[in-house]
Amino acid sequence: MITASQKPIDEIVDLIKPYQKVLVLGCGTCVKTCFAGGEDEVAVLASALRLKFKQLAQNIKFEEFTIERQCENEFIQEAAIAIGRNDAILSLACGAGVQAMAKRFEKDVVLPGVNTTFIGIRESPGVFTEECSGCGNCGLATFGGVCPVTRCSKKLLNGPCGGSRNGLCEIDPDTECAWHKIIERLTALGQMDNLKTYIPPKNWDTSLSGGPRKLIREDHII
Amino acid sequence: MKISNTPKLTLFHCLNSFKETASMFDGCEARTVKMACSSMTKDVHLLRAFESGADAVLVLVCSDKGCRFAEGSIRAKKRVEYVKTILDDIGMDGRRLNIFNTAAKDEGSITNIIQDTIVQLETLGPNPALNRRN
Repeated sequence: MITASQKPIDEIVDLIKPYQKVLVLGCGTCVKTCFAGGEDEVAVLASALRLKFKQLAQNIKFEEFTIERQCENEFIQEAAIAIGRNDAILSLACGAGVQAMAKRFEKDVVLPGVNTTFIGIRESPGVFTEECSGCGNCGLATFGGVCPVTRCSKKLLNGPCGGSRNGLCEIDPDTECAWHKIIERLTALGQMDNLKTYIPPKNWDTSLSGGPRKLIREDHII
Repeated sequence: MKISNTPKLTLFHCLNSFKETASMFDGCEARTVKMACSSMTKDVHLLRAFESGADAVLVLVCSDKGCRFAEGSIRAKKRVEYVKTILDDIGMDGRRLNIFNTAAKDEGSITNIIQDTIVQLETLGPNPALNRRN
């Protein structure tokens, strides 16, 4: 999933202050799971903003609404009537959702209420970790299902570096050493021979470094 | 229109941590919200209590190890701490919201908590998001 965290309240206040009626729009998929932009977070943020603007003696009306996904037109449509009633949309979706809203409602102001952070997983309740950089050329089969591109601080493809301490990274002791995990996994799988093959420097053309990417499936285009 | 200076208090409580008595709320206007377990404490409910006019909000929960649903009191404390940061961020002062471990039978301690909150409100003043018109 894509993770995000709410922007600081003061930043949000500055963004919405020019408007009279603001739709706080949640997204019920990824950002809901990481407690940044689901229905509950919409309610909390709207309540906090009402309290804030009452103190500022500025009368801004907040409407709350959450759709299943802001990144797909089929779901976005459900918000159309509420959007029509407001001057601006404060979107709690990821950057993709915010931009999808802006494309669909090109004459409406769409403001981001969260900072999109990474593609990751819920490691444990309340803890989310980055697992994938979306590099466009997945090598997880070689590395036993542990991505060194994302999880190794040095992005080493031919690790380990020698700086691993008790399974933790020398750069950040709060981070597991990805290569420690890779070796653990490959040992368990009996695939340590994978590491005898030299991995050449990565071609980053398939990543964002190669410019904005587009995925085309001709079989779904009519 | 009358201006009221009586402090307004909203008290969320677990069934087992609070039992109301007549004199407990002397000196304030109180609303109580009964919960089956303190784990039902939700951040939005705490904020909406302030929107509804509370000058201070109290959450009374069982002891951490005394919760019949295992983690209710701990969950409530985490949520209260989170909402306190929101209150600080929006200029409402997180000290308006507090959580205490109490037992329903300990009326004296609960009365003291309420009366201490009323005293603290003399320093904090009324809810800054609302005027005092009733």
